[in-house]
Amino acid sequence: MRQCIRAAVKGGRANMNESMTAERGPTTAESPIIEARNIVKRFGGVTAVDDVSLAVLPGEIHGVVGENGAGKSTLMRVLAGILTPDEGGVLVDDNQLQGGARSALEAGISLVHQELSLVPELTVAENILLGSTPSRAGFVNTRKLKEIAAGALDEIGVSVDLDVPVATLSVALRQFVEIARAIARNPRVLILDEPTATLTPAETDYLLDMLQRLAERGLAIIYISHRIPEIFQICDRVTILRDGKLVDSVSISDTQPAELVDKMVGRELKLDLQTHREAAPGEVVLSARGIKAHLVNDVDLEVRAGEIVGLGGLVGAGRTELIRAIIGADIKTAGEVTITEGGVTKRITGYGSAIGSGLAYVPEERRTDGLALTMTVSDNIALPNRHELSRNGVLLRRKITKFAKGLADTVGLRPPEIQREAGDFSGGNQQKIVVAKWLGRKPVAIVLDEPTRGVDVGAKVEIHRLIRELADNGTAVVVISSDLPELLELSDIIHVVRDGRIVGTLPWQEADEKSVMSLASGEVTAGAL
Amino acid sequence: MTNEATIDPATLTEPVESDSGVERQEFNLLRWFSERGIFVFSAALLLFAVIFVDGFASVANITDVFNRAAPIGIVAVGMTFVVISANYLDLSVVAQVATAAVVLIGVSNDHSIPLAMGLASVIALVYGMVNGIAVGVFKANAVIVTLSTTFIGLGLLRWFSGGSIYFGPNDGIIRSFGTTEIGPFPLAMLLLIVMTVLLSLVLTRTNFGFLVRSYGSNPAATRLAGINTAWVVIGAFVITALSAMIAGFALAAFSNTAVSAMATGYDFEALAAIIVGGTSVFGGRGSVMRTLLGVVFVSMLTNILVLSGWGFGLQQMAIGFLIVAAVSVDALARKATAS
Repeated sequence: MRQCIRAAVKGGRANMNESMTAERGPTTAESPIIEARNIVKRFGGVTAVDDVSLAVLPGEIHGVVGENGAGKSTLMRVLAGILTPDEGGVLVDDNQLQGGARSALEAGISLVHQELSLVPELTVAENILLGSTPSRAGFVNTRKLKEIAAGALDEIGVSVDLDVPVATLSVALRQFVEIARAIARNPRVLILDEPTATLTPAETDYLLDMLQRLAERGLAIIYISHRIPEIFQICDRVTILRDGKLVDSVSISDTQPAELVDKMVGRELKLDLQTHREAAPGEVVLSARGIKAHLVNDVDLEVRAGEIVGLGGLVGAGRTELIRAIIGADIKTAGEVTITEGGVTKRITGYGSAIGSGLAYVPEERRTDGLALTMTVSDNIALPNRHELSRNGVLLRRKITKFAKGLADTVGLRPPEIQREAGDFSGGNQQKIVVAKWLGRKPVAIVLDEPTRGVDVGAKVEIHRLIRELADNGTAVVVISSDLPELLELSDIIHVVRDGRIVGTLPWQEADEKSVMSLASGEVTAGAL
Repeated sequence: MTNEATIDPATLTEPVESDSGVERQEFNLLRWFSERGIFVFSAALLLFAVIFVDGFASVANITDVFNRAAPIGIVAVGMTFVVISANYLDLSVVAQVATAAVVLIGVSNDHSIPLAMGLASVIALVYGMVNGIAVGVFKANAVIVTLSTTFIGLGLLRWFSGGSIYFGPNDGIIRSFGTTEIGPFPLAMLLLIVMTVLLSLVLTRTNFGFLVRSYGSNPAATRLAGINTAWVVIGAFVITALSAMIAGFALAAFSNTAVSAMATGYDFEALAAIIVGGTSVFGGRGSVMRTLLGVVFVSMLTNILVLSGWGFGLQQMAIGFLIVAAVSVDALARKATAS
């Protein structure tokens, strides 16, 4: 059955794969299927993966853990042939892997992507075979397509209608379709990058069971997760990465959860904890009542002057949707929003009126929503401030330069070259530019969605400083962050969002990672430390 | 501390970034080539023509080049706004130029020139608004919308005019405008230069021009800065329509005749000038001044081919190749900077 699938999927390349397939089955020899040797991968001047080696045996589930930016995803993309390492190499059955993602796939390495890479308009079956659609004389062989897709879904024990568009499926089902897609390529090594991030506990259990069944059949699995209990539940070995370097690779029976976390975090980061600011909230500035929108169910939210309100929750909980509905960036179906400034309360009817009433919005995706990358820093900063920087519709060049220069200094842009295009700057600096353009308006309320995602540590500290300064000066601040330590450190009060509702509110004195997580996941995280 | 340091997998997708600030220090040759190459090419072509092409370097020839270039040039400097706003082009200039010319001569023959110009202005505004609303408000594809409004416009024009050719009186004001020269310069050429300077100031110095560039560079970010972006797009199409109208007037004056098919090919020739001038079809990057240079370059090239005895078919082919090369360099430059 499997062989027939493989031959069918690969079509003309069937012969080449025959030999590989023949070697499969229970292996008694302790030789790894896949081995990474001394991988080094640099992006510009930054070394994302620094001399990391890793070997996975057939039938083994190998966990990879590490903090944000530890290099896990980069390493996986090297293994899957998507990135070419600067040094070192990937060996499959002791043969050096050459060429890109295509040859890695042919060698039997399948990566289940972290962000879903399905095409929403295509059906389940079409998605599963995307990139290797069986065809005859250029026509899609629909019968074979469905047969292979059904086989793959069957193998992971998931039942879903093959003919419905993926767009109609739940997030969890899409995740399983994504896994079926990897399975349909009949892999020998399956790499999963945070597959449970968007799943409920029951779905997670199902997935973990499924992976164990697949491993029993000789599949080598590399499993990335932030959730330590999952690692201990299914993995045979675990590799710990920190700052791109290999910290340790141990058998799961030789380690303890606490030890793992220590190795992940390292000592130096724990000293980074700051004392919490003393907040003195004033009157309510931003008020939202009964907000309903896509993925948002009847939410009330109040933000006071000088207060930092944090929105916590899992990915897909509806935090971004909630805040975009409140500020009018997306359509809301019900609810009322007001902004109060200097004792005057204005009703917000849309995004334009929100901005006009003194709101500022730093969106989640700075490159697509935050900045005009082909324009200069100065122009980007001038954009929301153009009325103060022009007279009778004519731009005042000198005033713009002075204005932009001042704000670039405030946010600590490096280098402070405001006539350079925004796209030339690094992520951290780009985020500072987005913050700078709104600072110029002296906002009465500001919403920051994932303000430090993908930002280096130095810029992160500076952005945190700016957020605190805004609040200290009386701005009402809302921060959405999936970085839990950041959320805890910044927020005076945390609302936890799940399924488009605020399911719990914690003042900072009562909030810790455990309390936020148990609300966010809808369960008491018994397995957490 | 606890183990669940982070609950969002997406935070991992971006590579770690350095604090060094600017990521791309090196000089980008492709970007330079795409944007500034026109200066070098124009100078080289001019030098080549003066030395090697018989009959090029005469006052009569140069005057003729500019006279022919002026209407297309005026369309091109206006249409630069649509291209910079990342809406590709306005194909309906073909109908707009012809309509303005027919209205100017047809209505002034029966009534008066001010009435003709007033009516043409109203028509231009309608063109700009219809194109702008469909593209800016309804987010329809600009190429398809303006292709359709070309059909509507030409259809209406043929229906009203019955397909006839309009001739202006030989001693009329329109005719005299078309033949007036100030020194060696035809009036139409001066009009092109005035329009270029004016629109260049609008693009670089005004709030509106700034928003056109910003919108073309990133529509989402511009909207999220609290800007009503529909008006930005409508404005770009209205500027194009008003320029096309002025081009129609100039064309009518130059030939003292008007017919519905008189501006065939203006859409593509204007686009050619804009792209050769280094304005990016991806939006956000571009300049009205360089469009003028693009107009000069394309007209000069056509003139050289004519003087060298190349037929119309070969001229057309040469312009086609030129555009394929120019848009490819534009795309490569974008790819190089985006990576």
